[in-house]
Order: sequence, then C-alpha cells, then structure tokens
Amino acid sequence: MTPLQVFFQQLLNGLTIGSIYALIALGYTMVYGVIQLINFAHGEVFMVGAYAALTILLVLGIAQPLVGWLLVGVVLLCGIASMAGCGLLGLGIERFAYRPLRTAPRLSALITAIGVSFVLQNVVMLLYGATDRRFPPVIAPLRWEVAGATVTILQVIIWVSSAVLMLGVQALVMRTRLGRAMRAASHDLTACRLLGIPVDRVIAVTFCIGSALAAFGGMLFGVYYNTINFHDGYLTGLKAFTAAVLGGIGNIPGAMVGGLVLGVLEALGAGYLSAQWKNAFAFVVLVALLLWKPTGLLGERVAERA
Amino acid sequence: MGFVAPLTGDQAPHGEDMLGGARLAVEQVQAGGELVPGYRVALVALDDQRNPTQAVSAAKKLVADPDVVAVVGHLNSSCTMPASAVYHQAGLLQITPVSSNPKISRQGFETFYRTCATDDLQGPAGALVAVRELGAARIFLIDDMTTYGRGLANEFEKKARELGANLLGHEGITQGDKDFTPLLTKIKALQPDLVYFAGMFPEGALLIKQRKDVGLGGHFMGGDGLFDPVLIELATAEAAEGIYLTTIGSDVHAMPTAQGFIRAYEARYGPLGAYSAYAYEATNIVLWAIQQAGKKDRQAVLAAMKTLKDYPGLFGRQNFDEKGDSLIRDVGLFTVKDGKFAFLKTASWD
Repeated sequence: MTPLQVFFQQLLNGLTIGSIYALIALGYTMVYGVIQLINFAHGEVFMVGAYAALTILLVLGIAQPLVGWLLVGVVLLCGIASMAGCGLLGLGIERFAYRPLRTAPRLSALITAIGVSFVLQNVVMLLYGATDRRFPPVIAPLRWEVAGATVTILQVIIWVSSAVLMLGVQALVMRTRLGRAMRAASHDLTACRLLGIPVDRVIAVTFCIGSALAAFGGMLFGVYYNTINFHDGYLTGLKAFTAAVLGGIGNIPGAMVGGLVLGVLEALGAGYLSAQWKNAFAFVVLVALLLWKPTGLLGERVAERA
Repeated sequence: MGFVAPLTGDQAPHGEDMLGGARLAVEQVQAGGELVPGYRVALVALDDQRNPTQAVSAAKKLVADPDVVAVVGHLNSSCTMPASAVYHQAGLLQITPVSSNPKISRQGFETFYRTCATDDLQGPAGALVAVRELGAARIFLIDDMTTYGRGLANEFEKKARELGANLLGHEGITQGDKDFTPLLTKIKALQPDLVYFAGMFPEGALLIKQRKDVGLGGHFMGGDGLFDPVLIELATAEAAEGIYLTTIGSDVHAMPTAQGFIRAYEARYGPLGAYSAYAYEATNIVLWAIQQAGKKDRQAVLAAMKTLKDYPGLFGRQNFDEKGDSLIRDVGLFTVKDGKFAFLKTASWD
C-alpha cells in the first residue's frame, strides 16, 4: 500500500464510525437547540435501539446471512421497528422525566437525564443480561478493492443510510411547517407560546426524531461490530456529544460535520500517532478547538440563539 | 471457600466457565457428606467484573468472612495481582486457575498457588511457532495494556527478537473499545507476516473480524485469552478460520485422566468452557487441602497445602514449585478449523 492508499483507507474507516457518531449527535443537538438541555440519556437510547434491532432479528429467527429482497425487507423492518420503538421511548422520557421539570432550574433536568440513563442501562441489563450479546450475521461479508483500499458492504450501507437520514432531517427542519416551528422554538419558547405554536408538542416531536435517529445508529453499530452490551451507550454517547459540541451544539449541519470530523480524527490519530491514545486524542482535539473557537465549527448561530 | 471471577461484563462467559468447574467440584464433595467433621463445604461466588478495584473489594469481603478458609480466583492477572496481596496479608490460601502473568508468583507470597502454565512459557512458545514453523519474519504485536496482555506480549517479543524476527511495532488497545480499523490499516501498510494479539476474546474477536474488513493478510496468533468459543461467534467463522492460539495447558479432551470430569461437566452445564477444567482442578486441590487440614482453620489449610505431592489431577500429577506455580507446564497450540477450535500439539518454549 502506498501512503496515499493508507490515508484513503483511514479516511474510510473514520467516515464509517463518524457516520454513526453523526446520527447520534443529531439527537443531542436538536434537543439542545430547542430546550437547551443536554440529554445525557441519549447515549442509552442509542444502546436500546441496538437491542431493539437485535430482538427483532432473534424473533425472526435469523441465523444466516440473507440475500436479495429478503435482506432489504429485514433490514427495513429492523430499522423501522427500532426507530419507532425508540421514538416512543424518547416521547416517554420527555413526557415523564423532562416535561415536569420544564420550569425547574436547568441543573435539575441535567441530573434527571443522568438518572434516566442509569434506569435505561439497568433495565436493559436485567432484560438481556450483563454479557455481550452477539448479533446474528444478517449480511454476508462482501468486500471490494477500491483504489487500493478495502470497502465492505456494511460500510457502504452505513454511509448511504446515514447520509439519507441526515439529508432527511435537514429537509424536515428547513422545509416543513414542523421544522419552522422547531427553529422558532429554539429562538424563543415564550414568544412561540404567545404566537400559538404548540410548544410542548414541538419539543416532544424533537425528542422523538432524535431518539429514532439514535436507534438507527444503534442498529448500524450492532450489525457492524457484531456485538452489543448494555454499557456501550456510555462511551459512544459521550463521543457523539463531543461531536455535537465540536460542530457547534444546537446546530444541525454542525452535528453531522462534527460526527464525521471526530470519526476521521480518531482514525487518523490511531493510525498515525498511537492506537492507545485514540480516545484521548479525540478529546484533546475538542479542547483545542473550543479554546480557539468556543462555539464549535459551525456554531455562530448558537451564539445568536443564546 | 471463596470464588472470584468476572460474572458480569464482557468477560462473563469465561467467568461462568470457571464457576461451572468450581461448582461441579464442590457439588461432588457435598454429595459425599461432611468434608471436615462438623462442617459442610459451600462456595461463596463473587463477581470482580474483570476490574482490579472490584477484585480487591471482593478479596476484602472474603478475608473479612471468618467462614472462608481458601479462595479460588481470579481470572484476570490484573485482578489476581492486587487481590493476592490482600489474601497474603490475611494468611488465606489462594489458588488461581488461569491468571498466567509470571510476576504474580514472583511476589513470593506463600499463600499463592496456580494450576496453569505462565506467560513466560506461553509467550516464547507462541514466538517459536510463529518464527520457526509459520516462517514469520515480520511481526506486529498488539496487547490490551492489562497486566496479562502487556506481560504476555513482552515475553513473546523477547523470544521473537532472539529468534531474529523483525518486530515492526508494538501497540496497545483499550479494553471495551470496538473500532480497531485505524490500527489494523496502519498494520496492513507495514505488511507483516503475522500479527500477535495478547489480550482477551471480546477485543480479539473484533480484531480478527476487522482485520478481514481492512484486507490485512498474513497469520493471526493470540494467547489463551482468546480461547473461548464465543470468540469464533463474535469474529464470524469466516474471519477466524486459520488463526493460531496458545493455551496455558494441554488439550483437556485428550487427557485420559479428564474423561470422567468432561462427562460430568457436560451432563450438568453443557459444552466444556476453556477455563472450566482449570477451575475444577484448583477447586479440588483446595478441597483436598481443607480435608487434610481437618478443621476450619486458615493456617491449617495453608500448612496442608504445602504438603501436597503428586496430586492426581486432570492434567497428570500436580506438584508446585516454591513460588506456588504448577510444575505441569504444557502449552497447547490450537487453530480454528471449520468454525471450531482444533488442537494441533503441545508446543515447546525453548
């Protein structure tokens, strides 16, 4: 491999995990944009999404790689079901954990978020056990050589599906009435209420969409790494939160860019510096960037909002 | 008697295998009535989550319990190491079935025994196979930065250098991490003949699988931490085919002395795990020492242990050297064939 080919392969590695970070980061950023809450339970929603997909695969009794339309059908079913399930979970969390605290000091909501995170982790541990759960091999291992780098079918699925979802979210926020309401709510909740915008419903929908995206990320994570554990939401959630801050929290394109940038930085850090510093490297970059640009990469609009 | 291993967390399958072996030994003795006049033996199983902090608190809990006269545990060297000091202070006999880092017994604790081969045998044995038999001239080392992983990798490295292999690099990974593609890509660019991983099966499985995903060729070898059928499940049989691993003992299935144990275990708990036999052996030796002592007394049990000679174990006659290490020092060499572990031979280490 030439150095350029190695660099290209590292870029692809980073984009894969970065796409998953980006999907989760969207949920952090959307919720923050609307109610300035850092929803620390979001990483757990991601983990629940992976378990939901696993449950469906187990219920369907899939033990062998599928092909053709059957594969497409099963993947769609898994994706839709885990997104729907986690969307409902997000609605529930918002309704019962955060809405009663809407007017409470911000710290109360933050502590509640951590509490919700513990509850979700422990519920999953009790239901599915504390050991790693293996994902059935849904997709046959297919690999291609592209310009000296190896690309797997799973990576292609991750890139394409997360790109579609991210574009969908961007369109939803920028082009629809609901999106306009979300953007309005992020500017001023009280003014929105005065203008007759159903603020509570907008917030609930934001949680629902964010959670569904995290669930999809969870499914991709589980299928790609072939294993899921009840505490996998913690570190991945923390990374995705970092990605959201990196891109400028509250900013939707920022979360996508932040996720991809973080993934690529991790890959380059592990590839060119040292693998044992992989996690530290990502956070060092975050600190350095925030010193230089406190609002994050695309964060100007956050300053206006706040 | 106490028992400690990870019973929750990603290494719980290994811990469960050990617990099965220990339970079987205790149940067989319980069926025979009182081990020591006036007392029945019972197993107190604690969980250390493969976490050294949890290991020490489990050790303290056992030490504080006056009914505990000996301990079988732990799994990970990084847990056994600090816990062994706690047992030593309390004068409590500890036998580790599988913690293979040689430094643990070099501490000189008279309370410490182990029933498996150590990494200063396993590492060199792996290096010999890699260089002499697989003809690997260019080798890359990965370890998981634990007491076990780093220790084993260093032993491998020392021997491989001695044999004239070209060590391309030695990198650490973090336990619990999932994405190793950046590291594997870096390794791919160096085109090694063999990648050696000293660590446990959850990370080993991901390395084996992702190695295929980035198109890294050549041989893959690991230590006994990979020796669990879950490894092949997690890595997929396709990616695991043809990897090599060394173990801290010979193939238990080939031991005529172990056939009765295997039948009893499989009837009770299902397929035999990698570490079940070692835990069974260690537990039986502890039970033997308690019986010899003839009373519920830590010092008497420890003293009885010192008199052990030619104990008829699963792997042959067990004896221990002055450091407490077993004199049965076989290192097994396994490969993966058709999605299953296959025993190749007993490997030598010099």
